[in-house]
Amino acid sequence: MIACVLLAAILAAGIGAVQISPLQILGMIFHKIGFDLGIHYNEMQETVFWVIRLPRVLLAVLIGATLAVCGVGMQGLFRNPLADPGLIGIGSGASLAAVITLVLGTSLLGGLSGQYTLNVMAFLGALASMIAVYRISRQEGKTNVAIMLLAGIAVNAMAGALTGLVTISANEQQLRSITFWSMGSLGGASWSNVLGILPFCALSIIGMPFFAKSLNALSLGESDAGHLGIRTERLKNSVMYLCAIGVGACVAVSGIIVFVGLVVPHILRMTAGPDHKKLIGASALGGAALLTLADLVSRTIAAPVEIPIGIITSVVGGPFFLYLLMKEKKKQSLI
Amino acid sequence: MLELQNIRFDVPGRQLLSDVSCKVRPGTLTAVMGANGAGKSTLLKAVSGEIKISGGQILWNKRPMESYDAKELSRKRSFLRQNYSLQLPFTAYEIVEMGRYPYFQSRATARCRQVIEETSRYVGIQHLLKRNYLTLSGGEQQRVQLARVLAQVWDAPEGQRLVMLDEPVSALDIHYQHQLLGLVQDLAHNRGYTVLAILHDINLAFQYAQDVLLLKDGHKVAFGTQNEVFSEETILETFGVAVTLHQPSGYAHRYVTVDSRSFAATTHFIQEHNNYSFK
Repeated sequence: MIACVLLAAILAAGIGAVQISPLQILGMIFHKIGFDLGIHYNEMQETVFWVIRLPRVLLAVLIGATLAVCGVGMQGLFRNPLADPGLIGIGSGASLAAVITLVLGTSLLGGLSGQYTLNVMAFLGALASMIAVYRISRQEGKTNVAIMLLAGIAVNAMAGALTGLVTISANEQQLRSITFWSMGSLGGASWSNVLGILPFCALSIIGMPFFAKSLNALSLGESDAGHLGIRTERLKNSVMYLCAIGVGACVAVSGIIVFVGLVVPHILRMTAGPDHKKLIGASALGGAALLTLADLVSRTIAAPVEIPIGIITSVVGGPFFLYLLMKEKKKQSLI
Repeated sequence: MLELQNIRFDVPGRQLLSDVSCKVRPGTLTAVMGANGAGKSTLLKAVSGEIKISGGQILWNKRPMESYDAKELSRKRSFLRQNYSLQLPFTAYEIVEMGRYPYFQSRATARCRQVIEETSRYVGIQHLLKRNYLTLSGGEQQRVQLARVLAQVWDAPEGQRLVMLDEPVSALDIHYQHQLLGLVQDLAHNRGYTVLAILHDINLAFQYAQDVLLLKDGHKVAFGTQNEVFSEETILETFGVAVTLHQPSGYAHRYVTVDSRSFAATTHFIQEHNNYSFK
């Protein structure tokens, strides 16, 4: 799996308008650390690699891994293999905040609407909608997962309506940005982006495995996990926050990238099994590899035009998901 | 020894348990019985710590239950439900391994693997361990769950293992019912487990339970050995059903038959109702 990610990363870093061979990549990296391997590359390749390609690849790796890990977390939390971070309103809240910033940003925020305002606003939007859903689902000091799901649907609908409303008042240029953002893209990758989301993503990716055993036990049922000595309230809250922070950060820089959080855990569950002790790590690597490749396709398939990465993941993920459903249907009719 | 002393559980406007007391002895299977809504599940939830009782006290080996550390209790007290709605395709082995979660951080220890092996053999599911749990039959699934529940308390000292069963056989056919209750009875008699089980079938209780607690509307009707507790009067009082108890010669225990006349009024009503709706 790790080899897969490395391979995908090297491919993605090398292919594009400026071609860089895997050997040259090695050479550049070693040169940076202080070893000269004697591999030749020109200055343009070096600049493209360090300033454009590498941050983009790293961003894809980080976001892919985070989305997949949060997908696993959500599916474990809702005890349902079809759950997705989008269910509890993270994506729609971020969208609303992003669209408001794009359309009304200059009039609302004035001089503050710099390059990263959009990212920060989207992150805040994601957190706000998540907290709203979470607060609604509290019942007598406990989190009711079923209410959380339904509240998520309601918040999604309301945020969607408001997003639509704001979109109507957008001009041509803003409309293009909105479309691009809502389909997801890693086009804005930069080192500051990578470093900006790194702590949030790292928290999700490193934090989630600590709850692997508890998520397994939770699949028996909430009270049964409790009988196994697991503090279920703490578990639910922690997983919620890890997902909100991780996905919120991802959505903030890349827009909405669908299906990674849903499909990657699914594929890996078929090969690695449902045990979260293995599944979380495997999904992180799988998500990283998948998104890196998807991003490579998104910027090379119709070069120099960039296809939003959300379209790539949907085109691949949609049919695959249908295939899973059909298979599941067949299996259940057999039993 | 598990002691319930005048336990009470209130929800706004209603009392689900009022002043229930009993002593559940180790080495016995104690059946909790009563009509639907009598408070049986509430009683088990109180003992399992899932709900906090409003009054009274629950003592486990002479110490209040809440004075135990949650971690410690999870190694002595376990709970089996009627059915589990699993969605994820765990193997039977992975399910049984969950019973050992209180004993390891991230990797099962050698002792854990040994216990999983022992409980699986005891319950007779070794041949199922590699199978996908979701593809097992109801009886097989329930035995896998029993192996898990046993693995959880297997290492506790003699006399300190409490297993609670909430209608463990209600969804099983007659073969699996007796197989499972036979295992549970053996745990109590030969391994000193304290077993508290909600049963619905009075005949099963006659065959497998030593002590019986009868509940009605949150109150205790009777508690004691099955000979003390079961009579035509107490059963009528608890379930509102007229029965006759029989003791066949050469048979170890009694059995019950239901007097169908006690339902005459209801049957009559249903017939009336049907006639009406067909008109």
